[in-house]
Amino acid sequence: MGATITEPVHKISVEKDVTSSIAMTLTLVSFSMLFAGMLLGYAVIRFNNPIWPPMGMKSVNLFLPSISSVIIVLSSIFYIIFEKESFRNGPKRNLFLNLTIIAGFAFMVAQYIFWGNLKLQGFYVGDGVFPSLIYGLTWTHAGHIVLALALLIWLAWKNGKMKTEEGNLLWIKNIGKFWHFLGVVWFILYFAIFIF
Amino acid sequence: MAMFEQHIHEAPKDFLSKYVISYDHKVIAKQFLWYAIFFLGIGGMMALLIRWTLAYPGQAFPILGHLLFPHNEGIVPPDTYAALFTMHGTIMIFYAITPLLIGCFGNLLIPLQIGCRDMCFPTLNMLSFWFAFISGIFILAGLVTPLGAAAGGWTSYPTLSTLVGSPGVGQTLWCLAIFSLGISSTMGAVNYITTIIVLRAPGMGYFDMPLATWGLFLTAILNAIFVPVLGAGVLLLIFDRVFGTTFFLAGAAATSGTGDPILFQHVFWIFGHPEVYILILPAWGIVSDILSFFSRKPAFGYKATALSMAAITILSTLVYGHHMFTTQMSPLLTQSFMTLTMTISIPSAVFFANWLGTIWRGSIKFDSPMLFSLGVVFVFGLGGLTGLHLGTVTTDLYLHDTYFVVGHFHYTMAASVLLGGFAAIYFWWPKMFGKMMHEGMAKIHFWGTMIGLNMAFFGMLLVGYGGMHRRLYNPFVYDYLEKLIPINTFITVGALLMGVSQFPFLWNIVWTFRKGKIADANPWKVGTLEWAIPSPAPVHNFDEIPVVKCGPHELGNPALVGKDYQMQTEEIAKA
Repeated sequence: MGATITEPVHKISVEKDVTSSIAMTLTLVSFSMLFAGMLLGYAVIRFNNPIWPPMGMKSVNLFLPSISSVIIVLSSIFYIIFEKESFRNGPKRNLFLNLTIIAGFAFMVAQYIFWGNLKLQGFYVGDGVFPSLIYGLTWTHAGHIVLALALLIWLAWKNGKMKTEEGNLLWIKNIGKFWHFLGVVWFILYFAIFIF
Repeated sequence: MAMFEQHIHEAPKDFLSKYVISYDHKVIAKQFLWYAIFFLGIGGMMALLIRWTLAYPGQAFPILGHLLFPHNEGIVPPDTYAALFTMHGTIMIFYAITPLLIGCFGNLLIPLQIGCRDMCFPTLNMLSFWFAFISGIFILAGLVTPLGAAAGGWTSYPTLSTLVGSPGVGQTLWCLAIFSLGISSTMGAVNYITTIIVLRAPGMGYFDMPLATWGLFLTAILNAIFVPVLGAGVLLLIFDRVFGTTFFLAGAAATSGTGDPILFQHVFWIFGHPEVYILILPAWGIVSDILSFFSRKPAFGYKATALSMAAITILSTLVYGHHMFTTQMSPLLTQSFMTLTMTISIPSAVFFANWLGTIWRGSIKFDSPMLFSLGVVFVFGLGGLTGLHLGTVTTDLYLHDTYFVVGHFHYTMAASVLLGGFAAIYFWWPKMFGKMMHEGMAKIHFWGTMIGLNMAFFGMLLVGYGGMHRRLYNPFVYDYLEKLIPINTFITVGALLMGVSQFPFLWNIVWTFRKGKIADANPWKVGTLEWAIPSPAPVHNFDEIPVVKCGPHELGNPALVGKDYQMQTEEIAKA
């Protein structure tokens, strides 16, 4: 019986894998601290207000943030499949990378509609700290999504000529970590500012 | 350790790739050096304008005054004064001493001292400098905007820094500058930490690293963790200023649902207190090494010094509240922060005692790097002791926001770090440029700077203790402060002396390039890895990756014959 299709045919050297993992972990720690700083601000303001939302404001409609959550989960699943396909030189790797990018754009579209709907509901940026938190935190997250999307598009361009050599696999692995990290951050924001 | 094979890359040949878009850590170190010296000049000039205003209120600044302030008869106007102290603090902290100690010496020393050919990520390293460059343009651009540069103090507390207090674009540019500099620092930190972890030469354990590398390693850890917290603060401030959010707009958050200006102070100082150690840890490490080298003795308590620095790194993350004792913090919190702050004294005392232990009965050579290092021992001692008054609630309530605070942080952050930076420049200049600096000029530079800074900063402690508040344009409108004018004049004379003393340094740089003696590979006769290669260091650093066999301070071993030091690549001499 020959090698099963799930076995990786391309490998990254342990040394480079460890080096890039250390660097990527440190990078994600730094990004985490940026969001932690903002969430600290949220926590201080949130716990200083006995009634939340304050100023008689209504809670935000959860429909669009929930749609965004589903999209971001899907995008992460697509990316995981893309990563596996890349490591075993599978034929569907380009398909799943493109699906990840499409999901990323769909997430941004959902966010754009969400911000528009907030205005329709009367939530304007300058109306107090509650809208400020919702806009400020989602803007920051969306800014990072844009950065990650740029990396994914660059990866797709690279992937077009890709021979799945070691350097590309390292990029695939590390951009994936960043993408999944943004998914986790989204869920923290979702529960903190929309549900809690 | 050296986890992967390091190839020798061909040396860049054209001007652009050699000096501008360079991936070589040594060239990037030099880029940061010139960047830091440029901003030191600008920040220093601002300091003189501030000091002139306080010593001679209402009088025109000599020569330059009429050029800079033609509509105010050469006198510094009040709004410009606020911009000056803001920009002086910002420039000196973020654009002068940070690039000098971390950008320049971090880049230069880490690969050379751990025995590798470059940083793990040379492209990231190059980007780190160019982000700092862009940031420098942002911060300087504020000076030429219609309503002037940021004027809310280097801490940029809201509401001074929101549109209410600073309607001009200068404050927004300040925020952008700090944010982009934060990106640069984080890139550098990720590179430094990864490089130290994976590219140490075979045989080099963590406790075989020079203490300078230890200091830079711990600084990078603090940078990677806490700079993004400041990033969060300034990003929210940008949102407030540009998009109209209300994170920091004054109001009782509990009742009205508006923002809270104190929130920025929390975020700022969560970063800001570690920042003090971000700046000073490399200086401590450099001084610890130099004291040992020029005393011709091993560093006393090497491991204890390294572990003390590590302990301070951890403790520095837990004490930020002592900057905010006057913000109606609960007594439980103030006492907790006070206790934790006092705890920092323990590891500080350990390595300070180790410094004294290192020079005790040493064969001290008073070359310029040693003089500057001894200067650090003195000024850091004084700065550290005055910190106790500010870390204690009862005395801080009286001294808060007075010139005592200004004197304290100038002793710790300005004097200690700057003198440490000069010690490093004089010590590693031969390895950077292959020439020896003029020793006589270096000594004039040292004594002028040392006397000038002590006159200025000790005077600040005195006027602060006398009740003079910081950031006042003309404090002498208050009767009780009028008597402090002579001391303020004395401080200004000290600042002028310090400023004038930098000319021998600049002259020394020019002289060294033109006529400086060619340096041999190891002019100071010490054993760390960078001195095992020619001066200046070749593009690939090491022909062969060295194998480390002993620690960095093997000096004065009686078993040595014909010399009193041994290289880290040699087995320890035995009788």
